[in-house]
Amino acid sequence: MSRFLDEMETCVPALRRYARALTHNPDLADDLVQDCLERAIRKGHLWKPSGPLRAWLFRVLLNVYRNDLRRRRRAPDPIPFENLPSEPRAANVQPGRLALAETARAMQELPSDQREALLLVAVEELSYADAAAVLAIPIGTLMSRLARARATLRQMTQADAPMLRTVK
Amino acid sequence: MSRDDATITKDDLQAFADGVLDARRRAEVERYLADQPAAAREVADWQQQNQALRALYGHVTGEAVPARLAVHRIASERRRPARNWSGMAAAAVLILAIGGAGGWYGRDVLTVAAPAPLSLAGEAEQAHALYATEVLHPVEVRADEKTHLGAWLSKRLDRALTVPDLRATGLDLVGGRLLPSQEGPAAQFMYEDAAGGRVTLYIVPADTARETSFRYSAAGRLKSLVWTAEGISCALVGDLPQDRLQDIAKIAYRQLG
Repeated sequence: MSRFLDEMETCVPALRRYARALTHNPDLADDLVQDCLERAIRKGHLWKPSGPLRAWLFRVLLNVYRNDLRRRRRAPDPIPFENLPSEPRAANVQPGRLALAETARAMQELPSDQREALLLVAVEELSYADAAAVLAIPIGTLMSRLARARATLRQMTQADAPMLRTVK
Repeated sequence: MSRDDATITKDDLQAFADGVLDARRRAEVERYLADQPAAAREVADWQQQNQALRALYGHVTGEAVPARLAVHRIASERRRPARNWSGMAAAAVLILAIGGAGGWYGRDVLTVAAPAPLSLAGEAEQAHALYATEVLHPVEVRADEKTHLGAWLSKRLDRALTVPDLRATGLDLVGGRLLPSQEGPAAQFMYEDAAGGRVTLYIVPADTARETSFRYSAAGRLKSLVWTAEGISCALVGDLPQDRLQDIAKIAYRQLG
């Protein structure tokens, strides 16, 4: 049990990142992660998850997130947008601030299923097989969902931000 | 164009942009892109999208994790009230004191207090009796359209439903259908064992965040296990021993979460 918890603990930063990227709202994101962890611990007590723990946790998180979206659709409340990080780190070649802002906005416009898929692959760097398992879809469906997300993102950032083209 | 070019697919281009191709394939894609400026621009844009997304969200993993997300603490807070009843009683008093904003302790107490609706078992058994014996049209959507089945019933029930995979217990999915129920639209998934014995899983939306334990009920030869969790109430129905039903229900429960 303790080892299960230790392993789960190492996944928390990535779960927070994924939840933040899905919601653009730090408080809501941590609420979702907390709910996810409680749920996973509840179920982990009874059943040893088969397969990689990380993928299973992403799956639990997505279920929490989707159910939350449904609740919100029934009783909508405004979701504040997080400000962009003042000093984005983590990339060797930094796209310009404007391009980042455009990408952030475009991500919020993407259909939810495309956003979920693209973030798993591009940010969480899950293999296609793991990402497909998390989303419970065949790999072929994942690939076309990714392609649609990328095409939409490309079109939105090009139309709104010619700057992106010049940043290399 | 070389012979290799014809075999480069859109999936290859995405895998190239995501950096997951092996060296040989990567070289083939590079050769292809050298002759295809439009595709090369597209791939470069995808790579830039990946970079932008990592730059946008990557910093989160560098932040300190808030105390409320400490896994061991969540686990020990969960264990404590479950171990002794006086602890649970104390938690219940605490919840009364703070007016229902009880957080984790509250859930454990409510878990014990709220039985799943047993009328659900009756509905599920009726639906089972009607369709499990059906030879020509046991289901509306067959197992070979499992993805569609899950998406469709999720939409109709307004819940994120996964079609549970029960093959580990020797049950193959037959398919599923939509049914009317007291609680609104209901989903029925049907499974079959090697001998043709059928088990159905009946699901209705529940407007509660509560979770209940498994409740057992028997009506003649048919037995049901009923539970509520994650915004849905479920009834697993079959002509099976209680132990076996419970094993199946546990697996279904985990996958539905």
